[in-house]
Amino acid sequence: MKKLFSLCILCLLLVTAVRANADVARPKASPETPRIVLHTRLTIVPDSKAYEGRLQISQSSLQELRAALANTPGNESMAQGIAHSSTRTILAGLFMFLSLSFAGVWLARSVQTRSQKMIAALLMGAAVIGAAAIIGHANAGPPGSYYWRKLPQNLSKGASTDGGIDIEIVPDSNEGRGMKLILPIKPQ
Amino acid sequence: MERTASIDLAAWRSRPAPLLRRHLSTTAFVCVLISCACLSALLASWLPLQVSVVTVFLFAGPHNWFELRYFLMRLPVRFGRSRNFFLTAFAGIGVLTLAYVALPVLYAFGFWPDNAWSTILASWNTLMLLWLGSLVWLRGKQRLRRDWSWAFPVALGLCSINWVAPEFFSLAIVYLHPLVALWFLDRHLRRTRPEWLRAYRRCLSLLPLLLAGMFWQLTRTPSLPDDNGLFWRITQHAGAQLLPGVSSHVLVAVHVFLEMLHYGVWLVALPLIAPLAKQATEALPAAARERGRIWDVKTVPVARHPRGFPKLVATALAFGVFLVAILWLGFSVDYATTRDIYFTVAIAHVLAEAPFLLRML
Repeated sequence: MKKLFSLCILCLLLVTAVRANADVARPKASPETPRIVLHTRLTIVPDSKAYEGRLQISQSSLQELRAALANTPGNESMAQGIAHSSTRTILAGLFMFLSLSFAGVWLARSVQTRSQKMIAALLMGAAVIGAAAIIGHANAGPPGSYYWRKLPQNLSKGASTDGGIDIEIVPDSNEGRGMKLILPIKPQ
Repeated sequence: MERTASIDLAAWRSRPAPLLRRHLSTTAFVCVLISCACLSALLASWLPLQVSVVTVFLFAGPHNWFELRYFLMRLPVRFGRSRNFFLTAFAGIGVLTLAYVALPVLYAFGFWPDNAWSTILASWNTLMLLWLGSLVWLRGKQRLRRDWSWAFPVALGLCSINWVAPEFFSLAIVYLHPLVALWFLDRHLRRTRPEWLRAYRRCLSLLPLLLAGMFWQLTRTPSLPDDNGLFWRITQHAGAQLLPGVSSHVLVAVHVFLEMLHYGVWLVALPLIAPLAKQATEALPAAARERGRIWDVKTVPVARHPRGFPKLVATALAFGVFLVAILWLGFSVDYATTRDIYFTVAIAHVLAEAPFLLRML
């Protein structure tokens, strides 16, 4: 009897769940996530003598942007190439590991008198490289909003502000065909 | 069996010349070297694209023929203890060249997507580095009291760098390959003209200065016009796409300058050293002087030896001349396409330099 009761309760729960799901409004088509094609830097400089806003792009940034738009892998910067290819990074690490291992074995076998010193030096070198890598990661920098937090004050003072920026390609919208600058500034 | 270390070099060694004469010849050698280097740097900086077109047209094919002849001169009649070394060398040259030539063909047929190109390139570079490491190790095994096992850690370390940036690694090969000729000249002078070696090495210190001067003069110049297919190919070959922040004028000029040095060594310096050394002896019989002619097959030890292969050597050299003529014809008809084909196939001579240079170490 208990079992039958439990089964009925379970069926009721399932039925209500289905009905509840049916009540959920049809999900809206999620807007297409803008594609980030390039990360670069932007400096906002107030100019009291200027009559028109200007967007200045350096020659190299423009070339990088054109290459990114062309979507040719050969045109990626070295950092982008590493970031976008985990296979290459893994293989680079694997070969570095093999190199250090073979070097250690070779040193241990070939150097008789100063072998311990050499191995210690090798291990120190490897440790320094590892530590440098860890420090490099730890020193990756604060989030982008940190650099832009003083923009209002800097604008009122007429000072420039410099920070990182992602260039996104978005589809044309009703708001216009120009450019939109979205900065990570939090209200204080 | 003739040892490669002594092939044809005993006859080239000059008698001890009087001190004044030796000093004069060294001075003349240094003057010629510095003049050629400065003139090449000047021409390459002034008209990089035009000079690149002309030098490749004129010297690319002949310098390959001279390299072939030089390598035949260094080839032993019987491999003996070097059997494994030469088998590895020739197998590597064949496989790597075929793979390198096949890559653009397979890419054109869409065998892999665009974004896999870096991985393919890195794989080829890895194979080449491991092959070089094996060659160094095998060469070290032939040398007494030399352990060249360090070649593997070094090769694997370079593999790691290659996988980080394969395109830059390939570009580095483009710039470093011309310098290998200078190393050949160094080793050759050490055996045939030791009195010039010190002066030659001092002259080599001029090279970084010339390169720094070219960078200093050209780094702020506008990039070269690459609006036509040929000029675009030349700038791409020099790495303009990979280094957009550097003026393509600098890149092309430096590359052309290094190529001119490379051609100069193979076409002028190495062939001239032997006759100059022979003139210094003055006592060589006429028959021996006749032997010095570059078109004489009998000057090649592999052909001259009783158990040698004169017909094979003669055929190889004649076929080389034929290919040079075909190359000139191709350049005349369609320079851009022929240039592309040449620089793809020419990887064979880049690879072939490695084992023969190792044999001289």
